[in-house]
Amino acid sequence: MPAYALEIIVFSLGLVLLLVDAFAKLEDKRSLAWLGMLGLVVVFGLLFKVEPRAADDANVFWRFYSDSRMSLFFKGIAILSTILVLAMAIDYRGLIEKFTAPAEKKAHPQAGLGEFFALPVFACAGLMCMASATNLVSIFVSLEAVTITFYVMVAYMRRNVGSLEAGVKYLILGALSTGFLVYGFAWLYGITGSMDLAEIGAALKSGDVSPTAALFAFSLILVALGFKVGAVPFQMWIPDVYQGAPTPITAFLSVGSKAAGFIVLLRLSAVFLGSEAVAGQVAMAFAVVAGLTLIVGNLTAIPQSNFKRLLAYSSIAHAGFLLTALAAAPRKLEAGQLSSATVVAFYLGAYLLMTLLAFLVVGLVRVHRDSEEIEAYRGLGKSSPFLALALLIAMASLAGVPLTAGFFGKFFVFQLAIQGGHWWLVTLAAIGAGAGFYYYLKVVAAMYWDDPTGAAAKAAAIPVSALTRAAVVTLIVLIVIAGFAPRMILGLIG
Amino acid sequence: MDTGLTLNHFLAVSGILFAIGLAGVLIRRNIIVIFMCLELMLSAANLTLVAFSRFNTGANGAPDYHGQVLLFFIITVAAAEVAVGLAIIVALFRARETTDVTQIASMKN
Amino acid sequence: MQQEFIPVLIQIVIATGFAVATLIASVLLGKRAKRNQMKDSAYECGMLPIGEGQARFSVKFYLVAMLFVLFDIEVVFLYPWAVSFKRLAVDGGQLVVFFSALSFIVILFVAYLYALRKGALEWKD
Repeated sequence: MPAYALEIIVFSLGLVLLLVDAFAKLEDKRSLAWLGMLGLVVVFGLLFKVEPRAADDANVFWRFYSDSRMSLFFKGIAILSTILVLAMAIDYRGLIEKFTAPAEKKAHPQAGLGEFFALPVFACAGLMCMASATNLVSIFVSLEAVTITFYVMVAYMRRNVGSLEAGVKYLILGALSTGFLVYGFAWLYGITGSMDLAEIGAALKSGDVSPTAALFAFSLILVALGFKVGAVPFQMWIPDVYQGAPTPITAFLSVGSKAAGFIVLLRLSAVFLGSEAVAGQVAMAFAVVAGLTLIVGNLTAIPQSNFKRLLAYSSIAHAGFLLTALAAAPRKLEAGQLSSATVVAFYLGAYLLMTLLAFLVVGLVRVHRDSEEIEAYRGLGKSSPFLALALLIAMASLAGVPLTAGFFGKFFVFQLAIQGGHWWLVTLAAIGAGAGFYYYLKVVAAMYWDDPTGAAAKAAAIPVSALTRAAVVTLIVLIVIAGFAPRMILGLIG
Repeated sequence: MDTGLTLNHFLAVSGILFAIGLAGVLIRRNIIVIFMCLELMLSAANLTLVAFSRFNTGANGAPDYHGQVLLFFIITVAAAEVAVGLAIIVALFRARETTDVTQIASMKN
Repeated sequence: MQQEFIPVLIQIVIATGFAVATLIASVLLGKRAKRNQMKDSAYECGMLPIGEGQARFSVKFYLVAMLFVLFDIEVVFLYPWAVSFKRLAVDGGQLVVFFSALSFIVILFVAYLYALRKGALEWKD
């Protein structure tokens, strides 16, 4: 089975979910989520059955599509996060119903719920296409498929002003970044005469292209993708959008959308870094953005008291580490050295596990304690020890405590930066990681040491469904495995 | 037909269009107008694509159609973006009775 | 070439110049009257202003318009497909070329069924 069959299956699954929602009179729409998860689990299994492209396969389609190990790894990230997002969405459905139920009395209370389970599947199909896109047209179309789906999902709670406001902010800034991206693509196409990344790379390398025009195209694209991944100074939308969006979508946004931005950034930066004429300036631009992102992300996270907002700033901070890996891309790979693409892929995989674990707990606490403030987590260690343990591991991994996935993510980034001799970036990253310890462990301290006040003092244990429990345990196991044996994950990336 | 227009003329116009759109997004306060300015930025990119497509001629003098293909996709994506975007703006307008971006902010640090 | 456009340019300059000059003159020469609600309202004949300046449309108009735009834009892809069909459909490639467009139409048809079933095209409230 060729790799592109997976995208076709996932996309058809989304269509089926929409049609089932529209035509079958489902009493409980949770079955849609179950159907979606089941389908995605099957696709995840099929990922290991993908046959590489036959040597004599001359289909023009391959001009738009790559089935490298790296793209299969990113497809796995997309599918896994979508499954977990659907699992979170099941727990979160009460709030969605509250803010989307039709005004009429006799209408079904879940009338607005069906699409909430179908849309992540479409976003997943888009993310998978993007993981394989090697042409400006396919990159643009798949990126927009993901972005437009996210506009809908962020603003999904249409009677909740916060969700709508987040939706509008995301919409305006997302569309702005699309404008920059397209204009950059137009210039890139104009100066190289091709839409194919390999041909563009060759044209840039040949030296026939004006370096000024190439740098102009690069800066437009950097602005656009800076918005998508949340790099400073284009990060201002992230805290508000993360806070306002429904929690499962926030998790999806911070994992899926970030991974998507970084795949595109990896592909395009490789094209520019391959050209002698512009490589120096491009690496410098990455280094400046990475340094700014590390500092701003980590330092603004410190005073936050809303946990969802804290995670938003943490997402900016992690974008800083990922950009550091891009900035420190070695010109020539020595034997045994990890390429910056491998480091980014590993970091994103680790980031996916720990962020989704954190958001799983945030969603449950929001539903049962009606709050996202860190204060609401006081005493969680006593009332819900299982969730507190999960959050403890997520926070430890996000901070980069040894023997967790997050530690090796940061370790590889530092290794790359030190090998490249980017000492000031290493310093900034070290300051950032130190600040990270403070603000992540603040949450842990609240859970285990602070005495609960007010309503939280009398709060009962938060009930955890079997599905959520299974998801949490899987994530914890994966985090610990990646923390003990990172080579296993690196082997998957190839 | 030689009109004397060169690639640079088109690029200059599209650059100006892009700048006008960007300035509008940054300055204007009405969301609908901001949204129109965003579309203007996409149109600027479209004009650039068509201009490059027309002037990057192949061996037989025909335009390079790759640029025009991307243009079609941009038009479609822009339509989808407008459909979703206006729906969100309408929903926000119903909730807040305003389209002024300075009046919708409710979240704080 | 550019010289042909000079009359147009002159026309534009004169037109804008005249409009701007008239506006400035009216501001400079005219007496600034104090405005109040009474003065702004209609007098002698005409209706008193009631309600808002712009009537609100039902959101249904918007919904139908958007669906129209989305389904209308599909032609953007079908037209180039139709134009290049003969060139692509060689060496038994007809079926591939035909079914790739058909799958596109099927997706749109599914979207149409969905919209229909969800009541997006119903007018009665």
